[in-house]
Amino acid sequence: MQDEVKFSIDEEQRDCYQEISNVAMGQAADLLARLLKVKVILPIPQVNLIEVNELRMALTGVHKDDSVSGVCQGFIGDGIAGEALLIFNDTSFSDISRLLNYQEAEVHSHELEFLMDIANILVGAFLHGFGEQLDVGFMQGHPSVLGQHVNLSELIQPNHYRWSKTLAVEISYQIDGYNINCDLLLLFTEDSIPVLNNKINYLLED
Amino acid sequence: MSDQFKQVHSLMTLLQNVDVGLVVLDREYNIQLWNNFMESHSGLHPADVKDKCLFDVFDEIPKSWFKQKAESVFTLNTRAFTTWEQRPYLFKFKNYRPITGTAEFMYQNSTLIPLKSSAGEVDCVGLIIYDVTDVAVHRQALKAVNNQLTILSRIDKMTGLFNRGYWQERFYLEFKRLQRQPDACSLILFDIDHFKKINDSYGHSAGDLVIKNTADCIRDCIRETDIAGRFGGEEFSLLLFNADKQQAKILAERLLDVIRQQVIRYQGEQIKYTVSIGIAEYSQHYTSAEIWLELADKALYQSKHQGRDCINLAD
Repeated sequence: MQDEVKFSIDEEQRDCYQEISNVAMGQAADLLARLLKVKVILPIPQVNLIEVNELRMALTGVHKDDSVSGVCQGFIGDGIAGEALLIFNDTSFSDISRLLNYQEAEVHSHELEFLMDIANILVGAFLHGFGEQLDVGFMQGHPSVLGQHVNLSELIQPNHYRWSKTLAVEISYQIDGYNINCDLLLLFTEDSIPVLNNKINYLLED
Repeated sequence: MSDQFKQVHSLMTLLQNVDVGLVVLDREYNIQLWNNFMESHSGLHPADVKDKCLFDVFDEIPKSWFKQKAESVFTLNTRAFTTWEQRPYLFKFKNYRPITGTAEFMYQNSTLIPLKSSAGEVDCVGLIIYDVTDVAVHRQALKAVNNQLTILSRIDKMTGLFNRGYWQERFYLEFKRLQRQPDACSLILFDIDHFKKINDSYGHSAGDLVIKNTADCIRDCIRETDIAGRFGGEEFSLLLFNADKQQAKILAERLLDVIRQQVIRYQGEQIKYTVSIGIAEYSQHYTSAEIWLELADKALYQSKHQGRDCINLAD
């Protein structure tokens, strides 16, 4: 029972996570807009404590039968660890070539280039903004390509055994005027939740 | 000597000897720092490259590609990462294991980090080069083996056609697609006539030759988009896209005709054979793929009962 409380968040805390995510997401979107010179549509970030095996269902921006591509990147700092997942619906890629210009890259690697460029910016900026508010400096691991043109179940194969709950922040970015859909998912490990809650409570006291 | 100085000295020695490449580039992409790793692998001394433009010294680095990554680090103050999957290497270095390694060059991941001046502005980027040759080689080998396994698990070894399992998988998939988006599509089932007799009179090797020959005839007759499978011992199945039963019949007649003309030479004997064919076109009334399959099978049996070497269409 004690664990249940330890690894849970209340409504006030959820609102706080949402607010912090909102600020970090805004900073990330601003950088993206500056780099691509486009307008980025900002949704409200979804903050949920979910079971790892519900992860696939939690992804609202992509449908389970769609062909998707994804990149993941681990981060860690101050007792908080997690992974950032960036998932693109493959239907986005036709519009992406319209948006970007990778002259020297091979045609077939365009998609990967885009995926990496966007991941670099969104994940980096989000973690920077998120960390700044909580006074944590995150180290980022090297991003790894989860898969290209696969369905969601092939992309995410959670290791159910090591941990069961995850704090998930989901942001579905859209780019104005383009049919581009991407999901940024920040997943914090179960044992990071008490540490995060501590920091959040500190903010809430002010 | 102060403790602090000693610490800095130790740290510098570590950075010099750490087994990753460390480079510092200024705003004009001139090389400012070049550690031991970079020196050893490139054969260029720090003094050779100091204040030289990265792209002049290493023309293998695509300028606009690299700049696109680095500019975001300079202007947005964020890190950037590149992986070997995007581009196998930035610097064309030899494989660290030149004798036993299978890769010709060193696969590299790289990280670009913003470096701030004392004034707080990003005036340099730090470039970190990781050797990921082993990871890349293993990943590629695994992918190749998996692809090979996928193909092997789908193909009937003797005929090179799809095996029953995979053919059915595709058949069910197409059925589902047709239910959503109705289209003309026909199923052909056919069977070699008196196959048991061929085996009994000439031996099983002769029977195998007949089966292989049938597969060759199928390949000659169908279009590239059609899905052909070996359904059972001497039974074959074809799924024809954008073909109603009349169009399927034309293909079946050609197949019947081609097979009639085949002569299998085996140990001085000349073997001739025929096939019986059943056709069923997709209908929206079918509630399951099995019903469709059953109808084609019934049409095939009609052909058998009518004396073989002929075609029947399901109603």
